Order: sequence, then C-alpha cells, then structure tokens
Amino acid sequence: MHAEAVVRKPLVTGGKTVHDVTEDICIRVEQAPAKSWYAAMAVSLALLGYGTFCVFTLVWEGIGSWGLNKTVGWAWDITNFVWWVGIGHAGTLISAILLLFRQRWRMSINRAAEAMTIFAVICALQFPLLHMGRPWIGAIWALPLPNTYGSLWVNFNSPLLWDVFAISTYFSVSLVFWYIGLVPDFATIRDRATGISKKIYGALSLGWDGAAKTWSRYETVALVLAGLATPLVLSVHTIVSFDFATSVIPGWHTTIFPPYFVAGAIFSGFAMVLTLMIVTRHVYKLQDYITIEHISLMNIIIMVTGSIVGVAYITELFIAWYSGVEGEQYAFFNRALGPYWWAYASMMTCNVISPQLFWFKKIRTSIAATFVISIIVNIGMWFERFVIIVTSLHRDFLPSSWAMFYPTWVDIGVYIFTFGLFFTCFFAFAKFFPVINMAEVKSIIKATGEKKK
Amino acid sequence: MKETKKQYWKGLEELTKNPEFEKHADKEFPEYLPISGESEGTGASRRDFLKLMGFGVAAASLAACETPVRKAIPYLNKPVDVDPGVPNYYASSYVNGNEYCSVVVKTREGRPIKIDGNKLSTVSGGGTSSQAQASVLSLYDKERLQGPELGGKSVSWDELDAEVAKQLAGANRIALVSASVFSPSTLATIEALKAKYAGLELIEYDQVSFSGALAANEKSFGKRAIPSYDFSKADTIVSFDADFLGNWLNGALHSKQFAQTRRLNDKKKTMSRLYSFESNLSLTGSNADYRNAIKPSEQGAYIANLYNMLAAKVGAPAVSAPKVGDTAVLTKAANDLWSSKAKSLVVSGSNDENVQVLVNAINNLLGCYGTTIDLASAVNTRKGDDKAMVNFIKDLNAGNIDGVLFFNSNPVYDHALGAQIATGLKKAKFSLSTSDRKDETASLTSAIAPDNHFLESWNDFEPVTGKFSLSQPTISNLFNTRQAGQSFLVWSGSSESYFDFVKARWTAKADGDKQTYWDKTVQAGIVENTVEAEEVTFSADVAAAGSGIKSTASGVELVMYEKSAIGNGSQANNPWLQEMPDPITKAVWDNYLTISPKMAEELGLKLGDMTTQLVSLKVGNNEPIKVPAMVQPGQANGTVGLAVGYGRTSGGKVANGVGVNAYPLMDYKTGAQSKAVTTGVSVSLSGEEYRVAQTQTHHTYMGRENVIQESILSKYQKDPSAGRDFPMITTYSGKTKPGNVSLWSGHEYPNHHWGMTIDLNSCTGCGACTVSCQAENNVPVVGKEEVLNRREMTWLRIDRYYSSDAEEGDLKDMEIPSAENPEVTFQPMMCQQCNNAPCETVCPVAATNHSTEGLNQMAYNRCIGTRYCANNCPYKVRRFNWFKYHDNDQFPENTSMNNDLGKMVLNPDVTVRSRGVMEKCSFCVQRIQYGKLEAKKEGRRPVDGEITSACASACPSEAIVFGDLKDPKSRISQMLKLENGENGPEVKEERAYHVLEELAVKPNVWYFTKIRNKEEKEANA
Amino acid sequence: MSDGNKNFVLGVFDDEDVLLKAIAQVRQGGVKIHEVFSPFPVHGIDDVLGYKGSRLSIAAFIFGLLGTTLALTMQIGMMTVDWPMIVGGKDFLPFPTFIPVTFELTVLLGAFGMVGTFFVVSDLKPWAKPRIFDLRITDDKHIVAVDLDKNKMSEADIKKALADAGAQEVNNKQFD
Repeated sequence: MHAEAVVRKPLVTGGKTVHDVTEDICIRVEQAPAKSWYAAMAVSLALLGYGTFCVFTLVWEGIGSWGLNKTVGWAWDITNFVWWVGIGHAGTLISAILLLFRQRWRMSINRAAEAMTIFAVICALQFPLLHMGRPWIGAIWALPLPNTYGSLWVNFNSPLLWDVFAISTYFSVSLVFWYIGLVPDFATIRDRATGISKKIYGALSLGWDGAAKTWSRYETVALVLAGLATPLVLSVHTIVSFDFATSVIPGWHTTIFPPYFVAGAIFSGFAMVLTLMIVTRHVYKLQDYITIEHISLMNIIIMVTGSIVGVAYITELFIAWYSGVEGEQYAFFNRALGPYWWAYASMMTCNVISPQLFWFKKIRTSIAATFVISIIVNIGMWFERFVIIVTSLHRDFLPSSWAMFYPTWVDIGVYIFTFGLFFTCFFAFAKFFPVINMAEVKSIIKATGEKKK
Repeated sequence: MKETKKQYWKGLEELTKNPEFEKHADKEFPEYLPISGESEGTGASRRDFLKLMGFGVAAASLAACETPVRKAIPYLNKPVDVDPGVPNYYASSYVNGNEYCSVVVKTREGRPIKIDGNKLSTVSGGGTSSQAQASVLSLYDKERLQGPELGGKSVSWDELDAEVAKQLAGANRIALVSASVFSPSTLATIEALKAKYAGLELIEYDQVSFSGALAANEKSFGKRAIPSYDFSKADTIVSFDADFLGNWLNGALHSKQFAQTRRLNDKKKTMSRLYSFESNLSLTGSNADYRNAIKPSEQGAYIANLYNMLAAKVGAPAVSAPKVGDTAVLTKAANDLWSSKAKSLVVSGSNDENVQVLVNAINNLLGCYGTTIDLASAVNTRKGDDKAMVNFIKDLNAGNIDGVLFFNSNPVYDHALGAQIATGLKKAKFSLSTSDRKDETASLTSAIAPDNHFLESWNDFEPVTGKFSLSQPTISNLFNTRQAGQSFLVWSGSSESYFDFVKARWTAKADGDKQTYWDKTVQAGIVENTVEAEEVTFSADVAAAGSGIKSTASGVELVMYEKSAIGNGSQANNPWLQEMPDPITKAVWDNYLTISPKMAEELGLKLGDMTTQLVSLKVGNNEPIKVPAMVQPGQANGTVGLAVGYGRTSGGKVANGVGVNAYPLMDYKTGAQSKAVTTGVSVSLSGEEYRVAQTQTHHTYMGRENVIQESILSKYQKDPSAGRDFPMITTYSGKTKPGNVSLWSGHEYPNHHWGMTIDLNSCTGCGACTVSCQAENNVPVVGKEEVLNRREMTWLRIDRYYSSDAEEGDLKDMEIPSAENPEVTFQPMMCQQCNNAPCETVCPVAATNHSTEGLNQMAYNRCIGTRYCANNCPYKVRRFNWFKYHDNDQFPENTSMNNDLGKMVLNPDVTVRSRGVMEKCSFCVQRIQYGKLEAKKEGRRPVDGEITSACASACPSEAIVFGDLKDPKSRISQMLKLENGENGPEVKEERAYHVLEELAVKPNVWYFTKIRNKEEKEANA
Repeated sequence: MSDGNKNFVLGVFDDEDVLLKAIAQVRQGGVKIHEVFSPFPVHGIDDVLGYKGSRLSIAAFIFGLLGTTLALTMQIGMMTVDWPMIVGGKDFLPFPTFIPVTFELTVLLGAFGMVGTFFVVSDLKPWAKPRIFDLRITDDKHIVAVDLDKNKMSEADIKKALADAGAQEVNNKQFD
C-alpha cells in the first residue's frame, strides 16, 4: 500500500538504525545546550523584554499610543494577528492532511512544525486581546458568560466572536494533537533519564508502556484527530477572512477571501517551517532526517500555494473592474497606485514572483536560496495583510474621511513582543522536547531507510 | 440593648398596616411620583430610573449652590423654582463686544449648560452663531478674574471705587473706550458718568470697522447708521467681499433669510441667485451661484462699473470707473439686478467711504430702500468711529488724556494701533479696564473692575432701533465680579442697583401693572416695536465718489477676515471654538496665510499630508511675521488672506500662542481702517516646515454621485429628481432597488421612528450645529496634536467638497480641486442611524444595537473597544476614545472635563465617556427621552417640534429637520412625503436621498439634493 | 492492566516483520501472549494478536454530535429566546450566522471527548506507574510478554517456542 516508499529516495539517509534515531534525538534533550543556543535564547529574551515594556505602555496609555485614527481603526494589530494565525497553519496541516494522504515524508518535520503552530497561534492571540480599548474586561466579555447586565449575551452575528471560537478551538485541538504525538517520545526519554527529569518526563509520558493495544488505539486517535483537524485548519483562516469578507468596506467585502486566505496561510506557514527547520537542521546536525528531499517537497507546496495566491490577487483586480462598482474599483486602483503603492508592490514581488523561482530544481534544492525565499515570502505575506487592512480602510466611501496611517514606536514594539515570545518558546522547545517524532521515524526506518535487509 | 431598642414607623399607615401602604412599603419611591409609572411602549425605561436617582445628586447640589431664581422668570411655562433633574429655560441675550444674539439658556440645577436661539427674536432670527453656542463655556473659564484689582493687587470693591472716584475727580480729560454700546441702560449710566465728570467722552470702535459705511450713509441719507438688510426679499444678491453668511454684521439672521430664498419644494420652485466678488473664499462665496475672485484693489472698480451698467439702464450719468478684467459675470449680475428691481440687493464689505457711497447709489437706483434695505431700523451693533479712535490714540500719546476707562474692549490687542495705546497708557495718570480677564489691555491698566459674564448679568439691549431685548442672570456671580453698568452707576455716585435701574427704566414706559409687564418682558426676553419705514432720499455726490475710486494696484495684496469660529478673537480662550473646524479650510487651532494654488506653485511651496511651510509675511513697515501657508482653491490670485482673532498673548492658557495676530497689519493710512492691504505686501518662503491640523484633508468628492447629488435650478424645474442617482441591483428577476434585496424580513417600529432631513440647499456650512452638538453631548476637545493624528471627537462634522476640473474617471486628477473657482458643497455628516446598521452586526458584545424607535444606540459601559464598528461604518462617523480625555493633565485644552469649574458645563443627562470605548451621534437620545417623559406626564403623545436634536435647534438656516416618521403630521413626514408602500413607508419626495444608498443600510437621515441657480453651460456638477 | 501476575517470559525482537511472523507462530503453538510492547506502531500486529479495531471513532462522533447540539442551543437561547435584540436589521433567529460557531464547537467537543476517552480506556495519566518489562521497548526492541500463570504450558516450552520463532533473547521477568 506504500508503493511510493519504494520508488522514492530514502526519507532517512545515512544508514540510521532505529537505535541511532533514539540516540540522535534524545541527546539534544540530555546534553547541556550549545553556546549558540544560549546566544539565541538571550536575544529572544531581550526582544521579549523590550516588547513587554511596549505592551505595558500600550495598556497604560491607551490605544492612542498606536498610530490608528478615526478612519483607520485597525492596522498593525490585526495585520500581525492574521499574519501569525496564517503561520500557525502549517503544523497542523502537515500533520493532519499529510497524515490522511499517508505522506510519510511529513514524519521528520511534523513535530517542529506543530510546535511552531502552537507558538504562532499564541502570538496571534496577543493581538485580539491587546487591540481592545478595554482588554481587562474585553477578555471576559467576549465570552458567552453570564454577566452583571442581566441576560446580556455576546453577539453571535459578529465575525469577531466567530474568531474567538475558531482560534481557541484550533489552538486547543492542535495542542492536543501535538501532545498525543509527544507521549511515546516522552516515554523514550523517561526510560533513558534518571532523577528529577525521569519524574518530569515520566509524568509527561502519562505512563506510556508501548503495549500493542495502546498503539492500535493511539493510531485510531491520531487518524480521527487528523480527520477533525483538517476541516478545522481550513475553517480557521476562512473565519478569520470573514472579519473582512462580511463587512461592507470596498476591498474587504469579497467572497474570494476564504480560499484565498487559506492558501495564503499554508503559503506563509510552510515558509516559516522552512526557515526554522533549516536552522534547526543545521544546529542539531539533522541532515539525515530532514533531507534535501523534504525541503524540495515543501518548496513545491510553497510554489503551488504562492501561485494560488497570485491568481487570487489578479482575480480581485479583475472582479473589481468587472463589478462596475465605483467604490470597489477605486479601492483597488488606490491599492496599486495610491499612497500605499509600495506596500502593494512589495506584496506582489514577495508573494507572487519570488516563489516562482522554485520551478528551478537548482533553487528548489538549494538550502541558502530556500532560506532566503522562505523569509521573503513571510515579509510578503505581512504586506498582504497590511495592504488588505490599511489601504482598504484609509480611503473608503466618503472622501472627506480619507486619512493616512503612520505607525508609532509602540506599534512596532508590540510586534517585536510577539517575536520575542515566539522564539523564546521555540528555543525552549528545541531544548526540552524531542524535535523529531522518534516513534514515527522509527516506524519508517526499515521501509524507507537505506539499511535494507 | 435589645430591650431598649425602639420601634419606629414610617407613618400611621404602617402602624395601621394600611394595605395601600404595604403595597409600596418596599419601594424606595412611592407610586405617585410624577416621573414613575409606565413609559410609552413597554415598562418604565432606564432613563426614568436615572431621573429618580438624579433626585439625590440634585438635592445635594441644590443645597450647595444658591440659584438665581430671585427675580428670574422662566422662559417656558414652568414653576419658578428649580426642579431637580428638570431643566429650566431662561430668555437672555448673548452679547460679547459688538456681537449680539437673542438666546434661551438651559439651566440644570442652577447651572447654565446650553444656549439656543430665541425663536421669538427677529433680530437674530432664532438661530445662533457658533460663538453664541460656545459662550456658555466661557462663563466657566478658570482664567476669569476673581475680583477687582488695583495696581496688580486684588482689593475690595469699596477700595477700588474710592480710588476710581479720586482719580476721575482729579482728571480733566477721561476717555471711555468701548466696542459699540447698544445697551440703552448702559448708555444711560455712561451719561450719568459724563454728568458727573465733564471731561469724560465715549469713544466707540469696532474690531472690524464699519465707519466707512457709516460715513457713506451719512453722506447719502444724512443718517450715520447701518441699515438692516433683508436678504429674504432679494431675488438677486451681489456681494462684494461682504461675508454676510459669516461674520458680516449679523450672520445668523442673514443665513436664515438667505436660506428662505434657497428652499425649494413643489409650491416654490424658484430661488434667489447670489453673485459674489471676493478675494478669500468665504462662506458667502462658497454658497454663491456665481463667484468671481477679485483683488481687493479691484473692488471699487468693479462696483463703479456695476453702477455704470445700471446707470446706463436708467439713463443716469456714468461715473469715472477704471477698467476691470472680466466683465462677463458683472454684466450678467447687472442684468439680473435690473430684472429683479427692488427685489435685489448689493452689499460690500469695504470700509472705503466712496465705495460705500457707490453701493448706496446702486441700491438706490434699484429701489432697494424700503424693500430689502430698511434704514429706519438701524443696526446699533456697529457704530464705531475710526477717526475718533485714531485721534484718541494721538491724544493719549500726546499725554492730553488723564484717565482711560476700557469697557467691553481690548484695543491693545485688537486695534491696529494697539502698540501705540500700550505706550500711550504710560502717559495717562489713571487707566481702568472692565475686562473679565487680565487681557492684553487690562494687564497694562492700573485698575481692573472685572465685568460679569452675560449669563450673570441683568441688562437691556437695542441691537436694532426699536427692537429691544433683555438679559437676565441664569446663575449668581461665580466670582467677586461686578457688572460694568453697576460700576458706572457707583462711580457716578448713585447707590441704586443696576437691576433696579434697568427695571425702573423699563417699567416707566409700561402702562398697566408694571410688575406684570416686567415679568412678561423678561420671560419673552424681547420687545419688538414696529418701526415706520422712513422716506429716504439719496443725496450723495456719486461722481465725486466715483472719482474717489483708486485705480487697481499691482502686486500681492493682503485681505484680513474673521473666521466664523474665532471671529474677532474675544473668545479665543474657548476651546470649543478653537477646535471647531473652519468651514472652508477645515483647519483648527491656527490661523494661516491662505494663498492661491498658482501662487503656491510660484513660491515653490512644498506640501505634504497636513504639512506645509512657514512663509514670512512683510506688510508695509511692520516686522515680517512667520505664518503657515495654506493653499486655498478659489483664492484670488495675487492675494493672500489672514484671519484676525489669533495670536493672543494674554487671553488665557488656551488662547495664548495660537496663531499670529493680524490686527496690527490693518491698514490705517487713510485714517480709516481697511482690512485689505493693497500695497507693500510681500510673501517669501522661510523653508521651515509646519503642520496645520485639519479635520479634512481630501477636498473633492471624486465625482461620487452616491455621496453628493446636485443639479441646477432649470433642470430641477423640469424634473424634481434632477441630479438624483438611482443605484440598481441586478437580480434573477431583473433590476431592483438595493433595499429590496435582503436575507431578512426587517423590523417594524411600533411607537416612534426618529428621522432627520438635511437640505443641502439651505445649509450654509457655518458650523453652529457642530458646537451645539459638542455642548449638548459632552464631546471632548482633544487639542491640535490629536487632530493632527486624525482623532478629533466631534460627533457631527460638516464635510466640505470642492468641484474638480478633471474629467470623470481620471482618478488621480479628480483628487485636485479646481484652483480658480471651485463649486463648494457642504454636507453635515453624523451617524445615519441605519436600520440595517453594519456596525451593529460586527460588535462581538452587542454594545451597539438598535432601539425599537429606529435609533442606533451605544451602550458605553458594555463596549470593549474592538473598533470593528468604526471600521465597518461606511460614513466613518464613529469616534473612539483613544485616551482618557477627562481628568487628565495631558489634555489641558479640554477645559470642560479637566478643571472643576469647567465641568459645570457638562450635560448631566449625557455620560462622559471613559477611555477605550466607542462613541457617536445618538440623535440626542436624552432629548428624545426627556420629551417623551414630559408628554407622558401630561398623558399625551409628544407634539412635533418639541423633541429636536441639538444640531437642528442650533441651525440658523433650518437646514436640519428632526422628527418622528411615525407621525404623518410631523414636518419631516410632510417634507419626505411619506406614503405607505407594499414594503413599509416610502419616501415620495424626489429630492430626498440616502448617502450610499446602494449599500442598503437604510439610514434614517435623508439629504435633499443641492440645487444651484446657474445656467446650464456653466454648471459642472 | 496490572493484575496480580508476577512471572513473565519475554521474547525480544528487533525486526517488526520477524515479530509479526513470530507472534502468529507462537500463538499457533498454543502460547497465550500477555501483550506485545513496541517502540513504534507495527502495522498488522492487531490481526496477528487477534485484537478488534478500536471503537474510539464512535466516541468522537457522539461527542461531536453533543457539541453541535450544545452550540445551537446556546446560540438560539442567548440570541433568540433570552433577550432578542435588533442587530443590523437581522431577524431574531439569524441562523446563517450560527454556522461557524456550531462547526467549531462540534470539532472541539469531538476531539476532546475522544482523546479523553482514549486516556481513560488506555489508563494514561501523569501519575500512572506503568510496569516496564524492558527499558529497550521505548528504544528499538519489541518484546513479546507471556504470562506464566496464565499459561498451562511449561516455562521451558514457552521459551523454546519463542526462540524458535526467532527471538534474539528470551528472558524472565519478575514483578514483586
């Protein structure tokens, strides 16, 4: 049933045995981290520290410390929110959808990808919270809880409320999915560890004993979770796109948004996975597990999704012209040629043109090129959200209200905050968690490893 | 203890266990309170509860402050005593310098909190200017003097009086310098002073002088007076730089009169035509059908030519008139004037005697006297005599004047020769000011006898001959101040109180019971006797006047003007006025040099998003001043405009240092004031960058017919729906109205359905409504920096659009307004109260939702501030509290929320919003609730007109109409011609339209198309 | 699954294919296998051990259904029954706008319900004290555990059967 395993190049190279897998992965958890790790962690914590100060300023002074105004009510806040959520799509997508499609090459990357997802969503969640005028009460009132206003409930017509449910569901389900995958590996570490860490990993492994019965249930759970998570992944960014699609603002009010956003999310998510994997691969010497084959496969997905996004951009322009609606036409004219033309231009170059380079096998299989493009892609995706949000708002229906948006240092600082948060989490993960799903990789050593019997 | 515990009863009822009592025993307030019980519709409303709660608070404040009910008679038929939680209305008169408006003051618990026009007055026509609206905040100005001062030290009134008596007795020449005095009683007290001190003379002057016109009228008709004009009778109006819709003479009344001639409906399909020849783009110019941008030096020539054209028609001799560039429009004007003889009017803002003589001659030729001009009822608010003032200054500097009394005036600041007065004052032995603050003049005088604010004063006025009005205090003196009239009485040796003095003078004329007469008069606030129109004979030497016209000059010319908000600058310390956008430039917190786009190009001025450059302006031999340049479409090329009233140095914390003072630039070469400087003006770039805060930075409406729908009269007469835009949605069953396509069945409003109409034809864009809204709804002032950040909080704004020369579709060029002579459209924009409101749908916590009366309502304390509603509002009328604007030192400009005194102006019926919540126009829901409550107490439905929004009540031109769409008799239903169609009520009035109708958000605000009285070919709509 | 049994014989394998054959073989030889422990899921092991497929997917479905019901009840209860408000001119029961939340809650309860069930039935909990037959089963060895007390066959026969089936080692394991 896994015919592709025979024809395809080995997914794990270097003649690794099952035991080697255990060694190679566990050693990272057991050994003291390298200097480079300490350096990286220090930088992340510095970012986090400065970011925290900016967040404090924001909450203390008020939203006015951002550059928003009467016309542009959202800018960097929601841009960053959508950007992070988008990035948070890769992990679960890789684990769930690729599992359903029995893409075994996912196995050596899904662990880190899922971790990245979790952290990205945590970062994303900061913005819906911080962008509120009164976060201290908003955090509670956004939930359907009984309150002091008698029977006053939340408004289920509001896409923002849909977000609350979509994001929290996606986060918690991804978390569970990730953890289920970790349990057997924790057991492995537990059985090698001693003393306090034995206790900790013992608790984390929930008393895993690797019995065949448990394994068979485990596989069912993984499969069904994947089945549930797949529509979930698609639904999250669909619902995020509803924030705009259900509004009346030209440039927002677009039925193409759900598929277009999902494609964009996968696009940026895979790019971010690559950025991180290439680093981890290098630092942890995992070349045998994360092979060029993996990278080029992911590059192909980036190329495809990038093209989908490109088509979406062009479709938008066409429909704007075709609709014959004055406001709609101006909105897109203004995107391309208005005061924010540079944002639109960067978006187009980064998202539509740069991934096309992956048509060339040379670039697709070059680590350096992949690394650079993966970063460019995420810059482009940030601009996409900025273009959608700011250039649509700053010139909408009544010219009398047209205005420009200029970010302040607090806008930037809060974005930095999420970077600090993200990398701190990721480096902690790289130290204390097995960065590759050992159990799964072991299961394919014989089938696709080089050491055939 | 337990044993000794006594048992108390609330009363016999409780003791006897009276069932009626038991029923309510648990309630805090018994049933029979006037304001409890069932509200219309269902259940007692939240506001009823608030009213009850109000009792506690109100009672406390009652005990605290003594209310001036002693002699005051409420304007409405209400009990004399103050009802807690219930406002009292008092008729009074707003007077500040030479500005006048007959007003009704709303007080709550003895605090005046709102000013509206007195509908009975024909002098101010029931409307208000923005200054009148804002003056209530000036009452609570912390920088007013707390008591009399002598040589900088505060003293008791007795000490001051003694000193004044001594000084005056010793002086042989005393000058009493004042803005035009038009209070008979005050004049009487001044007479009394003269009687006591023979050497005392009264010198009147006006910041923007009319003495040229006065002299001209004396020449022409032997009567030194400004006539009252009636624009409502004029079919053709030609204005030469006279901003009669703005600050020229009596803007509020003129706006009302003008609007009457512009209103259109099935019965009246004709309207007046307004020609305007001016240099700066003024309110009048922007409302004109034909506007010519001319240099001030050309004005005389234009008028002379106009005279000759008309003279030719009657065969009168022509006068010598210099050539003028373009006579096409002038000829057209002449013909229109002639064809509407006697129903026409020519006015000029010039202060040049000869020019005014010619204007009189023209009006005489047209037979306007007795029809549109009434010389008999003279306007007394402008009597100043420049020559007298100039002579006074000479004498003062010559040391011939021993004592100077400054009353109701601040010449050191607002007179061109103020600097000389400042130096001259040192020569005078004694000087005194009655100013309410240590202003530029008062800070130089040896004594200050601070005058009351008009809301603390008794007085009477005669703004127009035969038309009297009274002012009564609405609060007892906040500080140890004394009314100037009272001071004059005391200094003239009388012991009578000024109140008795005024009352006596009035009741003397009364026949019948004097007290009743007095009470009635005070209650109405006005007494208007009909003045017999006298026969006027024109007797001036036109030829002489004609030859007196200077030939047009070349070079840059400066024209000074008054902004409709700041005016002459006497209320510069009022933040509401400072932050009210200028109707034309939409700029706040600054004055600036308006220059034509062409000139900007020649100068090489670099402009950015609200960033401009300082230019240095050199006028004659004055020190060059640095002032920001503002590119102004419609500015006559070769001219620059600069507003007076700014650059205060001791006007108060808010006023000081805002803008530059233009008064010193006024031209006095001829001895008479000229607000235009035609020679020796030079403008050069300074290279320094500067930011002018504007509330609107995009000036054209990009040819969007879904926003502005306009046409011209001839087309309207053929088809009332001319200029309308009817968007259609394509469905499977063909095209249909956007409103007909919906997922939902919609909601029926059972009881009331509040709506508003705004007639773009009547709206002159003056902006009084915006200040009224600010006062009514406790809207914070945010200051220049925050306006630069595009965060002004005004709930109601007036969008001002210029036409563009670009052809349809050229989206880049459509952004650029026509430089020469843009057509201007004003569009008041507030929450449209959409029935299908996009903002409601997106609020995650349902903080904004719809009432059963069609109101889009905000629950501030439920709002968590996601700003999604503001983003999704197509009209961008929602305002977010970016910071805490109250009790916050970061916003000192917001005096009405940041100091204990200023807070007294806050409307107790409206929440002061906290940081982080969204706010917006509520259709003055507090007024609606109050009106419903009043009606309910009387067991009736509210009558049309008794419930109206603050903007509608303030509008001098009655462009805004508010009412209940459910009431078929209501004015609004009539205007809209509401009829019941198959899906709900339908609007049959063809001029009425919704902004952005294609969105089908179904607003409750309708706009009436703008119709210009132009010829087909010129109309570029 | 720790009942009183103490004495086990363990067959150690390191190749899953050998393991599968072996299991089938020993079972034919009449040996009752207590349980097989592996470092990773071995496909087809259920069949040779004669395990029935898991019914956890049914649990997921039931919990999902619960989520749907809960979501709809909550939304209709709050928006339509408890306090109907006019919002954007929509009906008091705006069903289309209920769909997203309904979907999310369905997935949420489905996933959590199933995982919860899995933890319960497989006795996975942080404080669990598993019986580790051999530390290498989480590394690279597969262990076939045979419970002596549950088998009539003699220990020697069992050991022989395992060895014949290709076990690298055959050990005894005592739990006390």
